[in-house]
Parts: sequence; structure tokens; C-alpha cells
Amino acid sequence: MEILMSILAGTLFAAGVYLILQKQLLKIVLGTALLSHGAHLFILTMGKLNRGKPPILIEGVKNYTDPLPQALILTSIVISFGVTSFLLVLAYRTYQSNKTDMMDQLRGTDDE
Amino acid sequence: MLHIYILIPFLAALLIGLAAKKVDRIHTGWFVLPVPAVLFILFISKLPTLAEGKIVQSVANWIPSLDIQLSFYLDGLSMLFSLLITGIGTLVVLYSIFYLSKKEQLVPFYVYLLLFMGSMLGVVLSDNVFVLYTFWEFTSISSFLLIGFWYYRERSTYGAQKSMLVTVFGGLSMLGALILLSITAETNSIRQMIANRSDIIESDLFIPILILLLIGAFTKSAQFPFHSWLPDAMEAPTPVSAYLHSATMVKAGIYLVARFSLIFSGTDVFFIIVSGVGLITLCLGSILASRQTDLKGILAYSTISQLGMIMTMLGFGTGIATLAAIFHIFNHATFKGSLFMIAGIVDHETGTRDIRRLGGLYTFMPISATLAFFGAFSMAGVPLPIFNGFLSKEMFFDSSLKLDQTSGFAGMFAEWIPWLAVIGSIFTFVYSMYLVFGTFTGKAKLDQLEKKPHEAPIGMLISPIILIGFVILIGLLPNLINESLLAPAVASVTGDYALTHLAFWHGFDNTPLHMSLLVVAVGTILALTLKRWQPIYNRVPGKFSTDRVYQSIVNGLLSFSSKFTKFYMTGSLRLYTSIILVFLVVSTSIFIYVTDGFKIAFDDLAPVTWPEVLVGFVMAVAAIATIWMTQRIAAIIVIGVVGYGLSLLFVFFRAPDLALTQLIVETITVALFLLCFAHLPKLKKSDKKPSEKLVDFVIAASTGALLTIVAISAHSSKYFESISKYFVENSYKLGGGDNIVNVILVDFRGLDTLFEIAVLGLAALGIFAMIKYRDKGDMNH
Amino acid sequence: MMSNLVFLPIFIPLFFGALLVFFNKKQKVTINISFLVVLLSFGVSIFLSYHVFSDGPLILETGGWSAPYGIILVADKLSVIMILAVNVIALTAAIFALSSVTEKMVQHYFYPLFFLLIAGVSGAFLTGDLFNLFVFFEVLLMASYGLIIIGGSKHQFRESVKYILLNLFSSILFVTTVAFLYSVTGTVNMAQLGERVAQVEQQGILTGIGILLFIVFATKGALFPLYFWLPKSYIVPSPIVSALFGALLTKVGVYSMLRVFTLIFSHKLELTHTFFIWIATITMIIGVIGALSTSNVKLIIAYNIMPAIGFMLLGIGTFSAESLAGTIYYLVHDMAIKAALFFLAGLLVWHAGTSNLKKMGGYIKTAPLMGWMFFIASLILAGIPPFSGFIGKYLLLRGAMDEGYYIAAGVGLLSSLLILFSVIRIFIGAFWGELKEEPKQAVKTSGLAASVVLIAISVLLGVGAEWFYPYVQAAADSLIDPQIYIDYVLKE
Repeated sequence: MEILMSILAGTLFAAGVYLILQKQLLKIVLGTALLSHGAHLFILTMGKLNRGKPPILIEGVKNYTDPLPQALILTSIVISFGVTSFLLVLAYRTYQSNKTDMMDQLRGTDDE
Repeated sequence: MLHIYILIPFLAALLIGLAAKKVDRIHTGWFVLPVPAVLFILFISKLPTLAEGKIVQSVANWIPSLDIQLSFYLDGLSMLFSLLITGIGTLVVLYSIFYLSKKEQLVPFYVYLLLFMGSMLGVVLSDNVFVLYTFWEFTSISSFLLIGFWYYRERSTYGAQKSMLVTVFGGLSMLGALILLSITAETNSIRQMIANRSDIIESDLFIPILILLLIGAFTKSAQFPFHSWLPDAMEAPTPVSAYLHSATMVKAGIYLVARFSLIFSGTDVFFIIVSGVGLITLCLGSILASRQTDLKGILAYSTISQLGMIMTMLGFGTGIATLAAIFHIFNHATFKGSLFMIAGIVDHETGTRDIRRLGGLYTFMPISATLAFFGAFSMAGVPLPIFNGFLSKEMFFDSSLKLDQTSGFAGMFAEWIPWLAVIGSIFTFVYSMYLVFGTFTGKAKLDQLEKKPHEAPIGMLISPIILIGFVILIGLLPNLINESLLAPAVASVTGDYALTHLAFWHGFDNTPLHMSLLVVAVGTILALTLKRWQPIYNRVPGKFSTDRVYQSIVNGLLSFSSKFTKFYMTGSLRLYTSIILVFLVVSTSIFIYVTDGFKIAFDDLAPVTWPEVLVGFVMAVAAIATIWMTQRIAAIIVIGVVGYGLSLLFVFFRAPDLALTQLIVETITVALFLLCFAHLPKLKKSDKKPSEKLVDFVIAASTGALLTIVAISAHSSKYFESISKYFVENSYKLGGGDNIVNVILVDFRGLDTLFEIAVLGLAALGIFAMIKYRDKGDMNH
Repeated sequence: MMSNLVFLPIFIPLFFGALLVFFNKKQKVTINISFLVVLLSFGVSIFLSYHVFSDGPLILETGGWSAPYGIILVADKLSVIMILAVNVIALTAAIFALSSVTEKMVQHYFYPLFFLLIAGVSGAFLTGDLFNLFVFFEVLLMASYGLIIIGGSKHQFRESVKYILLNLFSSILFVTTVAFLYSVTGTVNMAQLGERVAQVEQQGILTGIGILLFIVFATKGALFPLYFWLPKSYIVPSPIVSALFGALLTKVGVYSMLRVFTLIFSHKLELTHTFFIWIATITMIIGVIGALSTSNVKLIIAYNIMPAIGFMLLGIGTFSAESLAGTIYYLVHDMAIKAALFFLAGLLVWHAGTSNLKKMGGYIKTAPLMGWMFFIASLILAGIPPFSGFIGKYLLLRGAMDEGYYIAAGVGLLSSLLILFSVIRIFIGAFWGELKEEPKQAVKTSGLAASVVLIAISVLLGVGAEWFYPYVQAAADSLIDPQIYIDYVLKE
């Protein structure tokens, strides 16, 4: 299962990378969302999957899934949420002030 | 004591920088004058100590942890240079008082000059190589500032920049050599290095060390091919040219070679490089001097040539050659210093230094003219006992003739070197005559001058008179300074102390005299016919001149940098990302391959169950599908599928908290996407060429593959038990919570959560500012 | 020793940064509070440094959970040196801000973002936990995202998009790599990582993971070929923001490399660290070529960040006590001088009304002090002795030559010359020559004062090297022997 999930996370990563290589800002932002998903899936996979119960203590149960990756993912989800939101608004403002959302028109020169 | 000597000019610079502006009735130079004068006397007072064969030294702490210590010592060689620095310094300051009017920026001028004086003393007195290097760079910097003294003139700034680039280049090369020396000899002290000479000579790094060190010396002493900065340095006020660019700073390279002679001298490489470069410089400089039209230009090339001659003699390394070199260092300072001062007087009194507009000035300024004749004849080596320059030149010839007595490489070249020496000297004779006769004899061209020429004020004449006095005095009585000054200096270069009697007359039957006579004869003919053959110079293509080479290096560097940087800094995010990703994939793959990092183990895996696989498959399809989405809504839906799919996976993999959070976050994100998309343009179909798409695909696929490989390997190499066990065991006991993930978040790793909130807050702040305070005009940026 | 003192350099800016959010309409109050805060924080950092250097490292187990289970903050010698440097920068930035931060910037939450940036940077220097390092990275990055767009010009939006995207990618890579490392070692505590990686002699995939981590830090630190985001994005914001970025952000990347590749991944030196030396060498050349490529004054300074980072990486690659000391010395020196140069470039551009060097000239008459500060700063930057740049460079070059890396050392020497050329061009072009155009506005006094303070510090760091060097050497010595750190954190 872990191998399959690694492949899935890799696929999400690949799709995300493909998107951030595109010209349109919007697609790039979508790409970052996919990258975050891929990363979170990687983290989860790095703890052992499906061994034991959910990490909520119950009398008599000794075996729980690894809680640490879950905690790390939670932190990471919240952070990526913040960054993605910021990026979305920034994309909107960039489009508004530069009148384009195509990255190849957002190059700039030395002399400004 | 020596610390204080070096410190005095710096303190004086500080004082003058702070105070002199207050007193503007008196020329600032008068306050500066006592500094070199007093130092000169102080150094003179040490002469008896040196005569006893002792050295003066003092040590103070600077950075003992790095063994960079302010250890100074005064031996014969340092003494000679110290006396030149302070002695010529006194005369130059005196001269400058009359040369520079009070309207000039006197305070900065004297501050730079004093900085130079202190630094130059530091160079010749330091025993610690890195302290020497420090002062060395400071002489370059003060020279830069002095050349750029008239900073509004383009020629000045050009010359300043050039001199700085060339000399700092040499300085850094020298630094490289010094570090290598320090590593090889395991000491930072020059005297210790000399003691550990064999470690250096036998080291594999010997030749690189030597070459790097010599590049430092050659750039500073304007040796071929680094000489071209010196003519451009003539943009500095004339007192500076007389002081830094003929008498002292340019001799720092000579000093360096002399100082390290005890380590390097006697090796073939040292001889080939030092004498070879010296001879080329001697000939080239003297030949080029005769084509100059600017008086100071002639003098600059002359200086280059004369330094080449001294360098050649140091390369010979024999006792007589060293004595001749040391003697010539002194002599050159006297006659060249005075000639520069006369050139300055001519400029000052006529308004030009262009020799084509000058002539017949003897009638207007007889004293200056007489002085100039003495200086030039001494420089030309006219065989009369009143010219010190003749004596040292004779010794130069002599030493070149005696090379066949030495073994090794020097012996092999012994036949050729005297001829080269003669050729160089012939042209030296030519330009010396050209200089004085062109300026002072012939018909005066008063209509071409800005003002009617007249003799300089006495104040300006004092210094050249004193210098010419030395020319004659030493010419007559060379042994006056022999025992006290020259012999100790020679001793510190060659290691043994051998007093050689200096004599003017060796009889008719000696080859050096014949060489001198040949020089005078051919030189006279060439000088008389100069006008006829001067045009030959114009036949030499300009691109071979080192000045052009310098310019094309600098311009080439700038235009190359510009083109190269524009080539890859295109501002294209796709290019940047691609390069980063390719680097990521390639370098990581290589490392994994080399370290044999890939590993896959099937023994510790969760069983494959269909619901998860199905969800995963749908997610993968959705993720890939986003690439082709052209409808905004469709794009949001497929992204949503991936996000919600992930929460479903979290449920399957027993991470209820994650599932919940992911669900909420995904919902808000989708809402945000919807909100923003309404304001953003529609998705367009990619207009990329198939080849570009292929590149994108390859990069994307390989990035995904790489991370998958690392993930599988990482999962297959669990070498240690996770610290999570502690959380499971202690979550309730110590953390007081059933939900382990929650306990980790708020307790075990509470700090993460605190700052996760900070990130969220910051994002909110940024978003708020972007939306609330928009469109109120751009701020300056 | 346990002490809550360790948390203060993070807490003070965090707390007051949060507080100042509510004062964004009151410029006076904000400025006054901010001044008190930087002074307070500076005082704390001095006290902390004193403590650490006299009594040994300090540790704070946050929440009372001991390592490796809870997050710990470790103030060892290296960390406090960095904290001290950060606070010096913060102090001078606050001085510079007096005349350069407009009412509008205050309204745009300049001060809260500034303090959060400081909090994030300080956290990154103090944390002893790799995942927590990621979190602090995010704090400082998020603050920098906020800072870079203050002003809201279209150039800023354009460049910040690139800046954020590339940093976002590297952050995602960072968190993924931490997970990989966790899988292999079962921990995220840096000391324990060091211990465990050493136990298995960095075998298998660990080196690959190390390289991924290197790429993450190299992207933050702007090393070849990962620095594309840097030059342009550093020149679009207000000068004070450029200075903060130039002085602090890339240095966090370098610090992280310094920590991770001495403490954790230091068992395959012949592979990883040789690779670093090559990267360092190329970075030096490429950076300095960039600095020579333009006549934009700010861009020249921005490009000069890269060769400096190259120098620092050279020391990590060489990996001797001497060269690591060189890296630390250079790091501190570079923080001060880069801030000073960005300040000066900003002042110059305001003064001239353009950032194009070709349109400047003769300002030595209208702004002599600024001109001379620029001149001295150029010498310091190029590593001319006896200033601060020389000490670090000397150690680094010596270290490299001692270990036989002659090409890298040669490139280092050559790039020093070109660095000097690139900045002395500004001095010659802008301050010498005829006065072409009347200056647009007078030099801002407090801005100049801040630059003077930083330059004075740089001079002092060189001339008075003996007062500082032993501390730096002590910090380097404890890096070369990671067991000291590991024992201290885990066995107390």
C-alpha cells in the first residue's frame, strides 16, 4: 500500500509541477495546490499506514497508527492554506495591476 | 617605536582631516610638512644601530588568534625605503605647497598623501605577510584616490579605476601566494619563512607561489604586461606622480622581490621570470617613451623602463647586481623625482606639458632647465663622474657581463643579456635627450602657450635643487652612502654583508665603459634623427598595446556579463522553475545512484485494499486531468476531487483529525478559488509547441518519479524506532488527552502550532492589506 | 542549562509585532514602540550571548517536554552569534525606518511584518527541531511575502509572484524531505537526527535525502543554479525591505546548511561537501558576473549577495575548524555590510531620482558623507583588509588552500576583484564625474546614520577582530564536533 501511495503522491507532484511550468498564473496556483496535496500524502505514507487504530486512546488498545506524521500534516495543511489564499489574492492583484495573467508577459527589465 | 612611526602619518591624516579646514589662511601643506621631515630624522637616527649590524624591531598584538601580528622590523632594505618614503615625502610636500593653489581641495589631498605615506612605511617595515598585504592594498587605495583627485575629469577617473583594478588584481594574486607561503612554511613571518626556505623551495607549490607573488610585484611596479596603468596614473597632480608613481609606491614591487629574494633567488624560475620580464620592460618602456608627447608620459614610460632595469638586476641575484639594483633604487628616486618636479614646473608656468608646443624654454627658466639637464643626463647614464645614474648603469652592465660566471640558466643566457641591456639603454639615452632638448632648447613657440613662461618661484625649486644636489654629490662621492645605506640593504637582500668599494673609474680597458660609449654614440645619432624615424611607431598596430588589451578585457567583461546574464535571467518563471527542477532531479539522482541509495522492501507494508486504491486512482486521474482543463469551473471541480479524495484517504488511513481539517480547508479553498476566478481571466488553451510540452512533461514526470523513489527508499529503510511511541505512551499520562494528535499539536509540539497561527495571521494581514489599501497610487520603490 | 531566556528573542518581536497590528493608523506610537522593542530585544540578545559564552549553551524545552519528544530551542554559540547579528540589523533597520517608512507603509503593517520577520529568523536560528525549522521558515517567508508587496506597484506584484512561487515550491519540498528523513530515522529532533544518522553512517538513501535538503536551503540561500528568484525580487520593494531581505533571508539558508551539514549529514564528506565546493565556486563566478551585467545600482548590490553566499558555502564544503570559522565570520560580516549597502543604494536612488548609474554623477559634492560611506563599504565588501570582509575571506581561502581546493580559492580571489570592480563602479559613476543633474532630494539623515553604524560595525569587526574571533572560533569548534551538541541536547 505504501508503495502505491508513494506513486500516487509522486503523480500528484508531477501534475503539480507540470502546472507550475505553465504560463497562466491561474494554472500555476492550481499546481501549488496539487503539490501540497502530494506532500501531505508523502508525509502520511512515511508513518506506517493502516497499522493499528486511529491515534485516539482507547482502553486496552496498544496499537495505534503513527500520530506524529498526522500532527505534522495538520500544521502543514494550515500553513499551505494560508500561503495558497495569499497567493490567490496576489494573483488577482497582479492581474489587476499588470493587466495580464500570463507569466511570459510578466518578465520585466533591468531599467525600471 | 616603529609602530609609532607608522602611526604618525595616519594620526596626522586624521588631525588634518578634522582640523585643517578651520585654518584656511595658511596652506595646509605647511601643517603636513613636519610629518615626513620628523620621520626622516627619526629614521636617520637609527642608522648607527643598523651600522652595527643590528636590526630595530617591535611587535604588538593585532589578531594573535590568527597569528596576524603587528611585527615590524627595520633592516638595511627597510631603512633605504623608509628614508626614500620620508625624505622624498618631505620634498614633495614642500613642492606641493607651491604647486597646488589654496583653491584646490587641499585637505583631502594631504589626507590621501599621509594615508599613502603611512601605508607605504607599513609595507616596507612589516614582518607579518598579512600586515604587509594590508598596507599594500592601502597604498593601492590611496593611489586610486590621488589619481582621482580631480574627480570631475574623465581621464582622472579612468586612470584611477585602471590603476586600482590592476594593482588590486596583483594584490589579490599576492594574497594567494602569501597564504600558500604561510601554509607551506607554517609561519606568517617573513624572517621565519626565510629560515624555512627549504620547505618552500621543495614544495610542489613552489612555482605557483612564485608566479602569484611576482604578479603582485609586477602589477605594482608596472612591469610588462601590467605596465599600462602607470601612464594613465599621470592624471594625478604632479607631486603625486613624483612621489607615488616614480619614487616610492611603484617601487613596492621591487621591494617585495628584494624582500623575498632570500627565499627565491638562485632558482632558475626566479631568474627567468624576473630578469626576463625586467628586460622586456626595460626595452619596451624606453622604446615607447620616445613616442610620447606629454612630458609626464615620457617620464611615466621612463619609470616603467627603469623599474624594469632594477627588476632585471634583482633577477640576476648576484652580489654585484643586487648592489647595483639597490644603488639604482636610490639614484632613480633622485633624478626621476626632480625631473617630475621640473615637468610640473613647466606645466605650471606654461600651461601645457605637450612637448610639441614647448621649446626654447631655457631662456625663460634657466634654473629649471639646468636642473632638468642634470637629471636627464644622469638618467641617460652619460659617462661623467657627476651623474649618479651613470654609476649604477655601469654596474648594471658589469653585472650583466658577469652572468657567465653563474651556473644554471643565467649562464645560458649570459651572451644575450648585455645586448638587451645596451638596447634598452640606447633608447633611455634617446628619450632623455628628447625630453630636455625638446623642452628647453630650440625655438620658443610662445604663441602656442596659454601664458608667458617665466621661472618658477623659489619654493618650487628647492626640492628639485636638493634632489639634483644628491645626483651630483653621489655621482662624485658614491661611497658616502655606501657603507651606511647601501651595504646593509644589500645584506638584507643577499644575506651576507660584503662591502664593495664603489668607484667611478675602472680604466679605459673595461667592457662596461665601452658599452656606455656605444650607448652614447648610437643614442646621439638616434636622438638627432628622432623626427625622421618617430613615425615608425604609428606602424605598430594599436591592438598590440597592453592598454588596448586592458580596455578590451574590461569592456569585454562588462558586455559579456551583460549578455550572459540577460541570456538566462530572462524573467521567465518557467525557465527558472525548469532549471531548478532539472538540477533537483539530476543532482539528487546522481547522489542516490552513487551512494546506492535506492532500496525497496516488501516485508513491512500495509495490505493493498481496494477502496483506497480506487480513491487513489480517481485522484491521480483528476490530478492529471487538471492539465487539460479549459473551463474554470471544471478545473475547480477536478482540484476539489483531489482534495476531497485526500480527505477520504485520511479517513481510510485512520487519521480522523486530518480528514476533518482537510475537508474544511478544501471547502474554504474551493470557495476562495471560485471567488478569485470570477475576477481572473478565463483559462486559455496552452499555446505551447509540442517540444515545449514534451520538456514540461519530462521535467514533471521525472520530478514525481524522483520523489516517489526517495519515498519508497525512505520507507524501506526504517533504521530506527520512531519517537512516536513516547507520544502514544504518554499522551494521556502526561498530556492529559486521549486524542494523541491533538496532544502533540497543543502540547508536545505546541510551538509549531503557535507559529502556524502566526503564519495564518500574517497571511490574513497581507491579504487584508492587499485588498483594503489598493489603488492609492504607487509608492516609491 | 534550562532557561526561558532562550525564547525571548522570538517572543519579544512576536508579541509586539502582533500588538502593533492594532496601531497601523498611528505612525508616531508605532515608531516609538518599535524603537523600544528593538532596543529591548538587542539588550536581551546581548545578555543571552553573555550567558552562553560564559556558562555554556542554554536550552528551552518548550512545554516542558524534553528532547527529542518536544520541540526544544537551543542557544548554542553559533545561534547566539546569529541572534546578536539579527538584532543589530533590526536596530539599524529601525533607525533607517525613521525617515524612510512612510505613513502608508505603516498603514500597510510594515512594523508587524518586520517584527514577525525578525521573530521567524530568530526562531530559525534557535530551534533544535527540523520540522519546527520548517515552521519558522514559513513564518519568515510569510512575513517577507507581506513586506515585498508593501507599496503595491505592479513591478512588486510581478516579481513577488515569482518570489513566492519558487519559495513555496522549496517549502513543499522541505516538508516532504523532513517526512522522508523521519521515516528513516524516526525522529525530527536535530540532535537525535545527528546521532542516528551517525549510527548508520549516513548509509542508503540518507545522502539522497541530504541533497534534497541542501537544495531546499540552497534555494533559500540563493546558490547556483537556484537563485533566479533573488535579484529582481530584492530590488522592487522599499530599500529597508531590500536591506532586511539581503541581510537576513539568504543567511537563514546558509545558517541551516551550516547546521544541518555539520550536525547531521557530515559522514559522506568526500561526496556531499566536494559537491558543495563546486556549487560554491560556480555561484561566486555567476553572481559576480551578474553584478557586472547591469547599471542598475540596486541590482548590482542584489547580485553581490550571491558571491558572498558562495564564499560561505566554500567554508562548509571545506569543512575544517578554520573554514567553518571563516563561514561564520563571513556570515556576520555579510549581514552588516549587505544591509549597509542596500541602505546606501536606497538613499542614493532617492537622492538621484533614478537607479540607473549612467544617469548619475558628481554626487560627492551634494552628498559627500554618503559617497565616502559607499567607498568604504565597497572596500569592506571586496574583503580589503583590515575590514571585516578580509577576516572571513582569509579564513575561507586559507582553509580551501589547506585542503587543496586551489581552483575554488583562485576563483574566490578573482571574484573579490570583480566584486570590488562592480561596486567601485557605483562610487566612480555616481559620486565622481561632473554633476549631471541636481539631486532630487536631500539624503535622509536617519538613513545615513543607520548606514554609518553598520559600516562602523564592519570596520570594528575587522580592526578589532581579536575581540570577536575567539568566539567565532569557539562556535566553529563546536560545529566540527557535533557530539558536543548532541550530548548537550539529549543527555541532560
